[in-house]
Amino acid sequence: MFTHRTALTAATVVSALLLSAACTAKPATTASDSGDDPESASLTYWYWAESDAPGANDWMKARIAEYTKQHPKVTVDLVPQPTDTLIGAFTTAAQTKSGPDIATQWATMPVLSQAWAGAVAPISDLVPATETANWLNTQENTYQGKLWGMPIYLMGIPLAYNKDLFAKAGLTNPPATWDELLSQCTALRKAGVTPFGMGNKDGFFGAWFFSIVGKQRWDSIDDLKQAMTGKTPFADPKVSGFYEALAQLKKQNCLNDDIASLTLDQGMQKFGAGQAAMAWGTDGLVSGWAKTLGTDKVGVAMTPKWGTGKLADTHNTTQSSTAFITSWSPHKRAAAQFLTWLHQPANLASWYEATSIFPADKRFDQGAIKSDMAKQIWEFDSRPGAVWPQNYLPPSVDSDGNGPAGQVITSGGAPAAAVEVWTKAIDKWRTQHPEELKKYTDWVAGS
Amino acid sequence: MSKGRWPYLYILPMVAAILFAFGYPLVSVLRNSLYTGSIYELTYVGLGNFRALFGDDVFRTALGNNLKLLLTVPVMTVVALLLAVLIHEGVRGGRFYRAAIFFPYILPAVGTGLAFSVFLSLNGGLNGGLRALHLNGLALDWLGSPDLAIWSVSGMVVWQQLGFGVVVFLAALLSLPAETVEAARLDGASWWQLQTRVSLPQIRPTIEFFVVTEAITVLSWVFTYVYVLTGGGPGNASMVLEFYIWKEGFAQGAVGLANAAAVVVLALAAVLIAAYLVLRRRSLSSEGRS
Amino acid sequence: MSRLSLTARQVLLCLATVAALAPLVFMVLTSLKTSADYTVNPAGPPASITFDNYRRALTDLPTLRWMLNSLLVTTVSVAASTVVAVLGAYAISFGRFRGRQLLLGLNIGLIMVPPVVLLLPVFVIMVNLRLINTLPSVMLFYTGLLVPFAVFFLTSFFRSVPYDVIHAAQVDGAGPGRTLWSVILPLTRPALMTVGVVNAIWVWNELLISLVFLQGENQRTLMGGLSLSQGRYATDQPLVLAVATLSILPVAAFYALSQRSFVRGLTAGIGK
Repeated sequence: MFTHRTALTAATVVSALLLSAACTAKPATTASDSGDDPESASLTYWYWAESDAPGANDWMKARIAEYTKQHPKVTVDLVPQPTDTLIGAFTTAAQTKSGPDIATQWATMPVLSQAWAGAVAPISDLVPATETANWLNTQENTYQGKLWGMPIYLMGIPLAYNKDLFAKAGLTNPPATWDELLSQCTALRKAGVTPFGMGNKDGFFGAWFFSIVGKQRWDSIDDLKQAMTGKTPFADPKVSGFYEALAQLKKQNCLNDDIASLTLDQGMQKFGAGQAAMAWGTDGLVSGWAKTLGTDKVGVAMTPKWGTGKLADTHNTTQSSTAFITSWSPHKRAAAQFLTWLHQPANLASWYEATSIFPADKRFDQGAIKSDMAKQIWEFDSRPGAVWPQNYLPPSVDSDGNGPAGQVITSGGAPAAAVEVWTKAIDKWRTQHPEELKKYTDWVAGS
Repeated sequence: MSKGRWPYLYILPMVAAILFAFGYPLVSVLRNSLYTGSIYELTYVGLGNFRALFGDDVFRTALGNNLKLLLTVPVMTVVALLLAVLIHEGVRGGRFYRAAIFFPYILPAVGTGLAFSVFLSLNGGLNGGLRALHLNGLALDWLGSPDLAIWSVSGMVVWQQLGFGVVVFLAALLSLPAETVEAARLDGASWWQLQTRVSLPQIRPTIEFFVVTEAITVLSWVFTYVYVLTGGGPGNASMVLEFYIWKEGFAQGAVGLANAAAVVVLALAAVLIAAYLVLRRRSLSSEGRS
Repeated sequence: MSRLSLTARQVLLCLATVAALAPLVFMVLTSLKTSADYTVNPAGPPASITFDNYRRALTDLPTLRWMLNSLLVTTVSVAASTVVAVLGAYAISFGRFRGRQLLLGLNIGLIMVPPVVLLLPVFVIMVNLRLINTLPSVMLFYTGLLVPFAVFFLTSFFRSVPYDVIHAAQVDGAGPGRTLWSVILPLTRPALMTVGVVNAIWVWNELLISLVFLQGENQRTLMGGLSLSQGRYATDQPLVLAVATLSILPVAAFYALSQRSFVRGLTAGIGK
C-alpha cells in the first residue's frame, strides 16, 4: 500500500509542478464572450517601424499612453518586432490563429499573402470610407475592392551624400548617371574615402538595390509580376540586368569592404559616423544623419539613372509597413478605433516631429516641413508613379531569392549566379505554394 | 520487494513522457513527410516532398554543410587528445588549463555566438588583432565570404566543443592503471609509442563515444551557431539542415518540405544512434565482466 | 631536450587557453564601450570604460523578465524530469518485469534523437492544447526531452547500490516506495545533483525550441530574447554584448559552484 501511495505522491508532485507552471502563464487567447466593445478590450500590437523611422517606438508608446488615458478600459500591449523575423514570427503565429490583434507587415505581398491565407480582417469593413479616403497609398494594399491594412507613414529612399567627403575628392554634385557614379567612386577612393556605407549580412542591401535600381529597365511593375508568374524568364536582362550594375559597384570598390559582414543598419551607420561618402537611407535615417553630421554637410539626391524604362524616372515612395487587424482578433472594432485614432491631425503632427518621416494622410499639415532638406525630400516623395518593387514579391521569393542573390554579388560572385538563385526561388515558390500562386496570378490578371 | 506490479506503476510517468516527447512526434513526422500544405490542411503527395527536397539547391547546400561540419570531429578529437595527454602528464597549472579550456563548453551559444559575430566581422576583434601583428593577409572576411562562412561556423563549434573532449579524455586517462604505462616505459618505449600503443588503445571506448556524440552534435545541434553567426548566408552558403527546417517550417509555412527534411535528419542520426547503442552495449558488457 | 619539450607543452596549452578565453574577453571589453567608441574603433580596447550598457540592458530591455522566465522554465523542467526519471530508473534497476532492458536501451537511444526532428509535431500539439506562447509549452517539451538522459544516468547509479543495503531494508519490512525514498535516494544524492546540473545548463542554453514556441515579448526565455536583440539593436553592438554577458554570468556562477557534479555527469554520459 505504502508503495502506491509514494508513487502517487510523486505523480502528484509532477502534476502540481506543471500545473503551477500553467497558472503563471497568461491564457493563449482572450475569450470573445463580451462581444466586441471598442471601449473595453486588451489589444496586443506587434509593431515594426523603428528600422525605417528611428523614434517610431517611442512615438507609439506615447500614443498608446495617451489613448489608454482617454479610453480607460482599453489596454494596448506593444510588442516591437525585429526586422529579420517580422514575416516568420507572424507566419508561425498565424498557423496557431492565436497571435496579436494588430500586426505589422510590409505593404502589398507580405500583407496580401497573409490576407489570402485568411489571417487578415479587411480594415475597410471596420472603418468608414470617409476616413480611409484620407489615407495615402491605399492602392498598395487593395485587393478585390477591399482595403486590408492601414498605412502610418510614407517614405522614400533617397541617396544621401556627405558634402565634406565629396569636397575632399574634389567633387561637388551628387551623381546623376551611373557612369558618373562609378567615376566618383574612383575619385573618392583616390582621396582615401569609402564611397558607400551599406550592409548586406542580412540580405537587405541587396533587396534594396533590387527595388531602387532593378526597376529602372521596367515600364511598370507588371514587368516584375510577369517574371513571377512565369510569363517572362527572370534571366531576361530587362528583369535582372541590374545585377551587372551591382557587380560593377562591387568591382570598382564603390562599396565598403565589410559590406558582407555588416547588417544593413550597421552598414548605413558608417555614413552617419562620417566614415562613408554615400548611402541610401530612408527619409527618417537621412534626417537623423543630417542632425548628427550637420545639416549643411548632408545632401540628398534621386538614385543615379542606370536604366531607360519608364520607372527609371520615378522615386521609390512607399508606406513601407502596414498595420492590419487579424482575422482571429476578438476585438476588431476596438483595434480599428485605435488605429483610426492614430490618424488624428495631432498624432500625424507628432509622428512627423518624432521621426522626420511624412505621415500617410492627406490631413497632414505641410506647413510643418521646415528645413530645405525636408522640402527636397517632400518633393521627391511627391513625384508620381513611385513604386517599391520588393513589396510585389511573394515573401518566400523575397527570402529565398532576393536576399541571397544580392549576397552572391556583394561577396564577389557573378551576376549569372545571382540570377540562378532567383530562378530557383521562383520555381520553388510555384511548386510549394500553389494556392498563393493561383491568387497571385488572379491578382496580376485583375490589375 | 522485487515482486509485484509496482514497477509498472513506477515506469508509467516515464513512458508517458517518452510517448509525448518522442513517440507521437516521431510517428507524426514520418507520416506528415508524405503530405503538403499548411499545418491544418494536409494533402497527400507521396514522396513528392522528398523529390522537391533533393531538387532544392538550398537543401543540398545545407546537407553538404552538415557533412562539412563532420570534418570538425577528427580535428576536435585529435586536438583534445593532445591537450588531454599533455595535461595528464603533469604540467604546471594543469587544473587551470583544464578549467579554462572547458569553460566555453557550458556557456550559452547564443551569448558567445553574438560575441563571435562581432569578433569575426571584417573590421572586428580578430582581424584587428591580425592587422596589429601585420598579418593583413590573414585578415579575411570570415562571415561575409561564401567560401569561409561555414568554416567560421565550424571554428566556433570547435571552440565550444573542444573542452568537452579534453575533459572526458582526461577523465579516461586518469582512470587507467599506472602500472601498464610504467612497465612500457621501463621496456624503453618512446613517448610516441607510449601514447599510441599503450594509453590511447586503452581509452579507445571513450574516444569512440566522443566521436559519435560529436558527430550527432554537428549534424543536428548547430542551429544556434548558424542563427546567430551568419543567418545561413551569404547567399545560403552557410545553410544547415536545422536552419532549413526552421526556415521552411516556421518562417515560410512550407510544412511538407520541413517534415521531409526532418526525416532526412532522423535517418542520418539513426545511423549514428545505432553506432552509439552498439558502443554502449559493448561498454556495459565489458563492465559486467570486470 | 625534455626541457625544451616542457616549454613547448606550456606554450601549446597557453595558446589553447588564450583561444578559449579571447572571445570572452573581447565580449566583456566591447560591452564596456560606448556606442560611439565602438563605431570608431570596433577592434581595440575601450577608450574609457562605461557601465551604461548594463544599466540599459536591465532597464530598457526586459532582460530581467527573460531571466526570470528562464529560471522558471529551467527549475520546473529539471524538477519534473528528475522525478519522472527517478521513478523509472528505480523500476528498471530493481523491478522484475519483462522489457526492462529494452526500456533502458530505448532511453539510451532517445538521448541522441535530434530535437529539431520533433519540433513541428510538438508545435502542433502545443497549438491544439492552446499552450503556444506560454511557458508551460516549453516546460512540457523540455521535461520530455530530458527524461532519457536522466533515466540512463540514474539507472547506472542505482545499480551500483550494494544489494545488502536493499536487502536489509526489505527485512525491515520496507516496500519499494520506502526503499527508494529512505535508502536509495540518500545514497545517490550526488548522482541526482549531477543530473540536475547537466540538464539545467542544457535548458538554460536552449534556443531553437524557445524561439519557435514563445513569441510574445514577455514570454521569451533569456536566449530567445537575446537572439532577437541582435537584430533590433544592430547598431548598438556594445548593448547587445552587455546582454550577452549578462546571459552567461548565471551559467558561469552556477558552474563554479557545481563544477565537480557537472564534469562527472559529462564523463558518465560518454562512457565510463
